[in-house]
Amino acid sequence: MITAAEIAAARSCMALASGFGASASRVSLGKSIMDSYSLRDSAVDKVSHNSDCSIYLTVFVDGRSGNFSTNRLDSDELSDFVKKAVATTRLLAPDTCRHLQDPALTAKNVSEGDELNLYDRSWHYLEPGIRLEKAFAPAVKFREIVPAAGEWHDCACAQAEKSGGSVRTGLKWRLISEESEWSDGLDDNYLIDSNGFEGRHIETSFSYCSEVTIEDSEGNKYSGYWWECAPKLAELDYEGCSLAALQNAVGQIGPARTRGGYRTMVLDSRVASRLVSPIIGSLSAMSVQQKNSFLEGKLGEKVFSDHFTFIDKPIIPGKSGSRLFDTEGTATKERTLIERGVVKTYFVSSYAASKTGLAPTVEGVSVPVIEPFCTKGPLVPDASGMIRRFRNGIYVTGLNGGNCNNVTGDFSYGVSGFVFRNGKILAPFKEGLITGNMIELWNNIAAAGTDARTATRWQIPSLVFTDVSFSV
Amino acid sequence: MNTLNYYLDIFKVTVPQMESLVAKALERGGDFADLYFEYTTFNNLMLRDSEVTSGGFHIDYGVGVRTISGDRTGYAYAENTRMRDMMDAAAAASAIASGTSGTWTQPASRLVEAGADLYPVLKSWRKTELSEFVPFLHALERAVLEREKRAVKVIARVSSSDSDVLMFNSLGEITFDSRPMGSVVVSVIYSDGRNTISKSSSRSFRTGAEMLDDALVETLADEVVRNVDALLEAERPKGGQMPVVMGAGASGILLHEAMGHAFEADFNRKGQSIFAGRIGERVAAKGINVVDDGLLAANRGAGAFDDEGVRGEKTYMVTDGVLTSYLHDRVSARYYGLESTGNGRRECFRFNPIPRMRATYMEGGADDPRAIIESVRKGIYCAEFTNGQVKIGEGDFTFYVKSGWMIENGRLTRPVKDINIIGNGPKALADITMVGNDLKVDNGTWTCGKDQSVPVSCGIPTVLVKSLAVGGM
Repeated sequence: MITAAEIAAARSCMALASGFGASASRVSLGKSIMDSYSLRDSAVDKVSHNSDCSIYLTVFVDGRSGNFSTNRLDSDELSDFVKKAVATTRLLAPDTCRHLQDPALTAKNVSEGDELNLYDRSWHYLEPGIRLEKAFAPAVKFREIVPAAGEWHDCACAQAEKSGGSVRTGLKWRLISEESEWSDGLDDNYLIDSNGFEGRHIETSFSYCSEVTIEDSEGNKYSGYWWECAPKLAELDYEGCSLAALQNAVGQIGPARTRGGYRTMVLDSRVASRLVSPIIGSLSAMSVQQKNSFLEGKLGEKVFSDHFTFIDKPIIPGKSGSRLFDTEGTATKERTLIERGVVKTYFVSSYAASKTGLAPTVEGVSVPVIEPFCTKGPLVPDASGMIRRFRNGIYVTGLNGGNCNNVTGDFSYGVSGFVFRNGKILAPFKEGLITGNMIELWNNIAAAGTDARTATRWQIPSLVFTDVSFSV
Repeated sequence: MNTLNYYLDIFKVTVPQMESLVAKALERGGDFADLYFEYTTFNNLMLRDSEVTSGGFHIDYGVGVRTISGDRTGYAYAENTRMRDMMDAAAAASAIASGTSGTWTQPASRLVEAGADLYPVLKSWRKTELSEFVPFLHALERAVLEREKRAVKVIARVSSSDSDVLMFNSLGEITFDSRPMGSVVVSVIYSDGRNTISKSSSRSFRTGAEMLDDALVETLADEVVRNVDALLEAERPKGGQMPVVMGAGASGILLHEAMGHAFEADFNRKGQSIFAGRIGERVAAKGINVVDDGLLAANRGAGAFDDEGVRGEKTYMVTDGVLTSYLHDRVSARYYGLESTGNGRRECFRFNPIPRMRATYMEGGADDPRAIIESVRKGIYCAEFTNGQVKIGEGDFTFYVKSGWMIENGRLTRPVKDINIIGNGPKALADITMVGNDLKVDNGTWTCGKDQSVPVSCGIPTVLVKSLAVGGM
């Protein structure tokens, strides 16, 4: 936790900045503590303890502004740091667009830090022995199924069936390695500015991730992973992580050749955020101002499908990613980003607002949510339901490399997953490619489920797109 | 040249204190312990909308303590060098060992000298005012705008860092290093009223502020405006399986991602790499040499020492087509009973070192680059990659080609853009059938992101891969 002395150090930075001639300043004090226990093949491989505390200072001097940081918080060091920061800022060119956020827009009564119920006080009572016990729990379950590396297993085992994979008969697999990591931590952030804003955000996190590598009887290797994360220890449902990772690896065995063409694509919720990210990036007013956005000039226009409604919901108590204020102290609130295909707002920081003339909003997204719908009958909650409903296509569970051109929205991503036919998984595939344009893709969205992973901040469910250019 | 006292003063520590810390890290047993003290200052300055209005500096200071027991690692760090806090970190790191008392005895401490000076610095970044970079940024923008009227936005950045590093270990070895780094990136948006494209160029060197000269302005401006006509007209080609010619230089990122990671010894030690257990086997055609080089003076991946205090070296992973070495840190070297190859690197004191690449490249071959292109009836020439991804176990990779050309009947014809190439690293390596005599190490701002970010560089001569999947329309 941030101590009173550290808060005093942050406040002293503002006073020092003023004393050295700054007209305004903002100080962010960030402290994070994390412990992790990594296992390899059910034995401890690495333990680590991390504790960081840094000050980030933004100063405004003579119409200029600079950003600085240090983790040397002793008073003598801080004084030198602030003095040099103010002097350095004077070397920059004036920029009247840079200023503190308007106090009328900053959050009020947010100095406790736990207003959003993201702070689990039981974290303070975790001892090394308890962490170790928790780190081993998924491994114990895993070893009940796979007692040791090197033993051959039939592909038609329960794990493969659960994965939905239809593997080639005759192939066997053996475990190469199983790696997992327990980690828990606390992030405590304190933000103040010389206009009187004071805010604090405290969040704990508990997470587990597993990665399993296997080899089939033809010598081909496959890896699968799974992870869980929660802000409260009691909410972390993680003991099946290693088995889920194994299932994902086994499901890939025996990939089949498949045909390219324009296909229906079911995109699993575990990777769906990747195709949302270019939209989020292009909604940044600074990207728009720099002509580096395929949504430039689209505010108020209908760009995407009538069915596509996309909302930022930053104030969900107990949900990771929620926040009451952004990095400038601006109060967050629920905002509709895309409403029935119409671009409703950009992310507009105070600087972007001054540069563009747009009204300020917030500097970025918090918890984006896609409203569920289905163009083909009643709502389908998840990927398996979408496969049954849409009958034929590709089910993408992995995005491997690729890119989206921010300026044009043209994209190309490597994909892997399964081919499905007549509502059933047929075979895994790998080394596939999807290409197209983001605007075109999101005009072809046909369904959004309700299965967004609780482990992620972005609440993106499984999605269905039609007429996706797919090649192998 | 700095002396040991320079570093001891920075970190306010003595040799006996370092010995005590290592003793603490090994008090519960373990085979090895080390300390990594780091003081880094960063500077950055950005020109946007023709004004240099954004900039700052950042300071990072601390010490990492590591205990190794077998091939297991305990790690902790302190953000100051107060003895009490460093002792707490050492105690936390010692938890990896399960014993109640160690049997380790401290050998006499000794200084390990560095080899050749790899960081030619005439003008220290720390002693250069940020304001001195401003004329360079304006000159760079001016040079771009003078060359290309279709440039509608220019962003130019200068960033620099200076790291002072002091290392000490349970072998009694004391090493130190002062590592400079300067980087320049220019990004430009072009529009002809019909099409809009973005393009960027960069340079990064372990050298001083003298790198910001007129020649660098000219080089970057020339590079960032090159082929704009082609890029504005470029189209996404029809995809399929076809021969792919990798242009010399930046195509080396494919070597780094698709093959280089599979040479890292941690993946091999765990059996996860496609190259595990294959030392001595042929993995490429005769004549092909693949190297990871820490000794290229001023190179972004150069290091007098790695981050475990092991001297930098030039390591051949593939010699005449045969797999001859993995890239080792101390942990994997101990596992294999070999000497470390000096590849134990880390992002900063907050991370334990792991095997990482430095400057990875394929040595030049015998073929004329023009002859390589002329040998292809229908294929793709890759000029510029932006990013890629690889699955280490499977060796499968996907790379995004930002720009290139169609090859038709041995000639570069239509410009292409925004395509992916997909393949399998070891298979692609084995499928290289021609290697040009034009090796070029690319000095862009390459950063490898394997768990931690470290600066690297990459290079390759023009090569022909006989068949890869190209994703187009």
